[in-house]
Amino acid sequence: MAASNQLRRDFQDRDEMRQHLMEQFPDAAEVDSRLSPIPGGRGAAESRLNQFRALQYAGSRNFLDGEVSGLSPYTRYSVLTIAEVQEFVAGKFGLYRVYKFVQELAWRDYWQRLYFQLGEGIWQDREKNKTGIDASCYSAAMPDDIVHGQTGLACMDAFTNGLTANGYLHNHARMWFAAYVIHWRRVRWQAGARWFLQHLVDGDPASNNLSWQWVASTFSSKPYFFNRENLERYTNGKYCEQCPRRNACPFNAGYETLAAELFSPARSCGSKYEPSHTHE
Amino acid sequence: MSKVIQWIHDDLLRVTSDIPAIYVFDEEKLRSESWSLKRIGFIYECLLELPVIIQKGDPVAEVAQFAHNHGANTIRIARTPDPRLQSQAHQLARQFTIDLWAPEPFVNLSNPVDLRRFSRYWQKASRALGLDTRDRT
Repeated sequence: MAASNQLRRDFQDRDEMRQHLMEQFPDAAEVDSRLSPIPGGRGAAESRLNQFRALQYAGSRNFLDGEVSGLSPYTRYSVLTIAEVQEFVAGKFGLYRVYKFVQELAWRDYWQRLYFQLGEGIWQDREKNKTGIDASCYSAAMPDDIVHGQTGLACMDAFTNGLTANGYLHNHARMWFAAYVIHWRRVRWQAGARWFLQHLVDGDPASNNLSWQWVASTFSSKPYFFNRENLERYTNGKYCEQCPRRNACPFNAGYETLAAELFSPARSCGSKYEPSHTHE
Repeated sequence: MSKVIQWIHDDLLRVTSDIPAIYVFDEEKLRSESWSLKRIGFIYECLLELPVIIQKGDPVAEVAQFAHNHGANTIRIARTPDPRLQSQAHQLARQFTIDLWAPEPFVNLSNPVDLRRFSRYWQKASRALGLDTRDRT
């Protein structure tokens, strides 16, 4: 019964599997032929779950080196369901002591429920944006310098490289990155969301697209953006220190100043953020 | 007696019991969405732990062929919000009986649930989970 389309299961090691996949999926190999360092499978999921120090999650999760579960690649495919994860952490630590983590699991449940309602509508604006800028002013494609990690901004380039090498990004990095793409570069959230889905091993149209929409303000009451102080704090300054543009950082201002620049109705459609326009 | 096979897809990479199982990489979808090899590799490693035949091509055609080969008239499929998977399941339903199932939900909520904002959902969900927000300090 061996059909010609049947794929192999017997590999000596991961590299042999990768070789097989490169032959079977040449288009995907051309997009990026690396494998994620995150291993697939229920066994890997369970060991990750066992190691997770859920009590530290609430206090440290926003830091890039904070305690996060790293379980999203597994829950995305229900290799491990969020119901199982919830039951495990609540049983191990006590439900109230892992409140914040359970709430984050609930976000996934919420997004999945919305996906059942929306279907393909997951790719359309849920609401009109609140940036004061017409939807037609946002470009349809991801700029090359972002995709290739050549913006000169150490943080953003590191996020691009992390995404394409690992197929994973810390949630806070996803938010900063999305805000940069949408608000500083004026790119449609759909372009960024689609690019994320090419690479994320936890790529899920519901969680991904609705989070991009949350940043864009098409699924929230105001746009999400950040400043250098915020990014520097939660990354322990590791990008800013060696950033080629550390003295010309587009994020280096107070929130009011940034909001005025990014969302000013006076800023015409054509006047996108230019790399030369910076804050000393 | 009806014979059953199961179609494993991205919204539930696990098998139920010892029913013959198949997973099909949807080549047209992967191409049109320009997936990188990382995503395929991760799914592949999940599949290698399962007793499942792994194929690529058109899921509807491959799953139907697999069912025919096993003399099955019923296909077990996990419930999915993915419109493409839903449409493929609809196509299979023309030839086969579809046995739709879902694992234990995260939280049981009485319908309808207001999904306009997370806060409205969370009000209901937290209570159903046994987390009364008023008790938190």
